Amino acid sequence: MLSPYQVLDLTNERGLLCGQILGDLGADVIKIEPPGGSRARSFGPFLDDRQGPEKSLYWWAFNRNKRSITLNLDKPEGRTILEQLASKAHFLIESETPGEMAARALGYENLASLNPALVYVSISPFGQDGPKARYADADLVVLAAGGPLIIGGDEDRAPVRVSVPQAYLHASAEAAMAALIAHRERQRSGRGQHVDVSAQQAVAQATQSYILSVPLESDQIQRMSGGVKVGPLKVQLVWQVRDGNVAVVFLFGSAIGPYTRRLMEIVHAEGYCDEATLNKDWLRYTELMLSGQEPLAEYERLKGIVGQFLAGKTKTELLELALKCGLLIAPVTTIEEVVNSPQLAARGFWTEVHHPEVGRTIRYAGPFAKFSRSPIRQRRRPPMIGEHNREIYFQLGYSDPQLESMQRRGVI
Amino acid sequence: MADQLPLSDIRILDMMWVMAGPASTRVLADYGAHVVRVESSRRFDTARTIGPFQKNQITTESSGLFLNMNAGKLGITIDPGNPKGREIVLDLVRWADVVAESFSPRAMRKWGLDYEALRAIKPEIVMLSSCLMGQTGPLASFAGYGNLAAAISGFFNLGGWPDRAPCGPFGAYTDYVSPRLAASAMLAALEWRDRTGEGQYIDLSQAEASLSFLGPALLDYTANGRVAQRSGNSDCVMAPHGIYPCAGDDRWIAIACRDDHDWTALCESLGLSELSGDPRFGSLAARRENHVDLDALISDRTRGLDPLELQLRLQNRQIPAHQVHNSAEAVTDPQLAHRGHFVPLEHSTLGPIVVEGSRFRLSRTPARVNRAAPAIGQDTQYVLQKILGYSEERITELVAAGALE
Repeated sequence: MLSPYQVLDLTNERGLLCGQILGDLGADVIKIEPPGGSRARSFGPFLDDRQGPEKSLYWWAFNRNKRSITLNLDKPEGRTILEQLASKAHFLIESETPGEMAARALGYENLASLNPALVYVSISPFGQDGPKARYADADLVVLAAGGPLIIGGDEDRAPVRVSVPQAYLHASAEAAMAALIAHRERQRSGRGQHVDVSAQQAVAQATQSYILSVPLESDQIQRMSGGVKVGPLKVQLVWQVRDGNVAVVFLFGSAIGPYTRRLMEIVHAEGYCDEATLNKDWLRYTELMLSGQEPLAEYERLKGIVGQFLAGKTKTELLELALKCGLLIAPVTTIEEVVNSPQLAARGFWTEVHHPEVGRTIRYAGPFAKFSRSPIRQRRRPPMIGEHNREIYFQLGYSDPQLESMQRRGVI
Repeated sequence: MADQLPLSDIRILDMMWVMAGPASTRVLADYGAHVVRVESSRRFDTARTIGPFQKNQITTESSGLFLNMNAGKLGITIDPGNPKGREIVLDLVRWADVVAESFSPRAMRKWGLDYEALRAIKPEIVMLSSCLMGQTGPLASFAGYGNLAAAISGFFNLGGWPDRAPCGPFGAYTDYVSPRLAASAMLAALEWRDRTGEGQYIDLSQAEASLSFLGPALLDYTANGRVAQRSGNSDCVMAPHGIYPCAGDDRWIAIACRDDHDWTALCESLGLSELSGDPRFGSLAARRENHVDLDALISDRTRGLDPLELQLRLQNRQIPAHQVHNSAEAVTDPQLAHRGHFVPLEHSTLGPIVVEGSRFRLSRTPARVNRAAPAIGQDTQYVLQKILGYSEERITELVAAGALE
């Protein structure tokens, strides 16, 4: 879909996924790394736990469908080469601390003067400007600032993150979408622009709009083990079952109430509750509690009943029941269960990728969507450091002796 | 003005609901796409039943989630199960460039609105279906919400403490991830259509789309056989790395030390200089190894401090640190204010409301967020008359036939 377009991907560990999404969609993505390789290659986990820039699984996870060249942007000659590349490219993606690209005379204004059609994408912790633009950052810091952390975790401990860092993935996916919006405008106007993505704002999406509680004059929700406290209600979302945990939407209202009714019919049929309990008004149950017509102790009793019903069953039994009866129950799975999921296998989700450099074929997550006419293909495994130096620099008109000299001088 | 926005040439028939779908078209609307949102008053959007509710009033219009996901869209009520209602939907398909839907896989077929039916009347249509598990496979019919997809795709188990049951990331996590990929997919498919004249069908599984966010953990299993475990707030590179208590009720600060420089600066800033010489914490590896002791010592020191004051003090030394924002603190954050993150709008029945603005900026063609989400059926007349050109008589017939319910 994007095969006519070239992307220069200058991102460090903060922005790698953006270029991969554009590469999946067909763009020619050139990953530009400093000589010796991107800092992101020092991030684990590593293949066979052997540390090394060509063994970083973190790198592999976010760099398929890209080619790699090395280029030293701290040298004038390196900057000149980047200008040469940027004058013909369609997109450039960078994730330096705001101001650093401009300090190298490679900021948006600099490159737009050479190529006014360039869509220049900047991914940063807090955005390119504002009082926190140059704040020191980390995944945890961005999540703290964007709002989702405070509502995640157990009530008696600190808020807690997902153990696989997420903040810059939100920002990177946001950036790919933003780049395509700017691209569509360019198709009409012929002009590029600066796309400025704030990771803080991107992760605010993960508050499920509860960041708006105070401006909407609504009570703030609070984190709770296995659920969330909404005003006086302790909403349980995760439950223990015989062999682990399941997520259950045990909620009410016109849309979800009918599911809860179906669940309670089964709970009742198996003898866990009486008929009066089954026949509660599941569509208006929240309102009944909030108005005091239904005591909160009764809601707690219901959760206890549902808990007993679930506790005797396995994750698989409950998933089958959910499918058969239309219930809102899903197993809490491990990574192993995800990789061995019959659903993902049936859809041909996984892609086997050959890595000749280590003599291994490794299973990768597949495309993010199935396109009927222009499917996403795994065209290239993640590149080794500067793997495509010769092919790309030849196209720019450099000869082997010139490349050798550039290498000696630390330019590439 | 409208014509200068990037997507002002795109028309979207939005038959999505709750969050994962509507979030993707909300962004496109911010940048000028004309989005007609179909709801049925027989079964209105579940998002309308989910908080936060304006002024704690639970009504069909007051859901902050619905308001936030649907700003900038036109709202029409149609019963797609009604034969005349279906005809209206087909007319909107003829008008649209993209049809996006997020029902369970059976629903569109049942209404005769599946891709084959739409393609028959408009071959170049781009249709995106976004559902939890995808249109095919043994779990295709598994309907539900993003918290269930987050559970079944591994996210939930990776959030929380190693000595406790998982607590997951908050809420419908895959609904935060997949909309960016859905919107990118629609834009890429339009690019393809413009170049080749071909429409196509996009089957997006919210679970699959979200798995790219677990990439390193998936490879650690497929390549190394290691099953990732939740590890609280500890990090595999940085230490100290955690959320530390501060003065006040449920107030916290996030601190992450990347290297010895950050660590020394932290010790000085907290008045813990004796720790910087402590061999238990003498290197990054040692600090990671002894992070339980380390976290306890730092917590003892931060407990009496104001989180915002501490954030400013640590950031002055370029140590990654930030108070853990709740909604009240986010609203007064000078950075979010500077970025225009909170946008006041006027809603047709609620009066003044606030939604989130665009999460990124385009320098030349910034987002336009100036129209509140539609009340149920707010734009039904407008869409039928001005977009579809229906006569008064025809609309009266449709009302009588129950097609607009």
